[in-house]
Amino acid sequence: MTQVTRPTPRRLDAFTLPSQPGNERLALARVAKSVAGLDLPEARLERLKTAVAEATMNAIEHGNQNRAEIPVEVEVTQAGNVIVVAITDQGGEANPEPGNPEEPDLLRKLDGGQSPRGWGLFLIRNMVDAMDVTINGQRHTISLTMRTGGAAHDEHV
Amino acid sequence: MTSMCEATTRVLPGAAVIELSGEVDGSAADVLTEAYQSAVQGGGADPGTVVLDFAAVDYINSTGIALIVSVLARARAERRKVVACGLSPHYREIFDITRLSDFIELFPDLDRAVSQLTGPAALKAAR
Repeated sequence: MTQVTRPTPRRLDAFTLPSQPGNERLALARVAKSVAGLDLPEARLERLKTAVAEATMNAIEHGNQNRAEIPVEVEVTQAGNVIVVAITDQGGEANPEPGNPEEPDLLRKLDGGQSPRGWGLFLIRNMVDAMDVTINGQRHTISLTMRTGGAAHDEHV
Repeated sequence: MTSMCEATTRVLPGAAVIELSGEVDGSAADVLTEAYQSAVQGGGADPGTVVLDFAAVDYINSTGIALIVSVLARARAERRKVVACGLSPHYREIFDITRLSDFIELFPDLDRAVSQLTGPAALKAAR
């Protein structure tokens, strides 16, 4: 039997932000800084930044209802060639499970059959290698996984 | 929330150009709506094409994408064409995965968009 050794995760950064619109820019800047030096190619770094911004916006708006006193928690870890950014709000089940919202359909949006909005989770799913959601009581966490090497979404470039 | 987006409009023969700068997010709704209005009613002939120039834009998020969808929907309803230029490779990718690039022709920069759409005379006027 082959034994697989998994690298121990290393915390690169952990911080909180008040739930105020616009603070997703602070999250993406700080995450970008925390992964600098990990040889993440530019295109993948840009995708990670977009996913972090969208997940943080979701946490601020839908999870914490724009209540500044409830913080959004962000943790960045690295294990081998895998970066995980975990973004937690206090929305519990109220912050909808990814996959449930209607898939954006541009033609329907243009014809008025669907709201022009609703791109956030779609973008997140398409920007990172994996997105996982865990709910523990009120804690709602989106974990974004990005490998530092090439992966599934590189065909978009 | 104060918008970090600014827009300048110019009307060329056959096309109106909206030059955007800063951040295209939900707070840019009024800026973009007013810019579109100004572009299509800016005097002279009614422009059949609206050029969105993103060269000075450093951030677009999902609510900004929604605003661009709204502009495109309005333009289509008015039988106008929308093209875009100056997008970074990352935002070109986002235009591809959202399928915006199926409806909005993309050009590398404003010069190439204008020269292809309206010819050399308009390009001179755009400079």
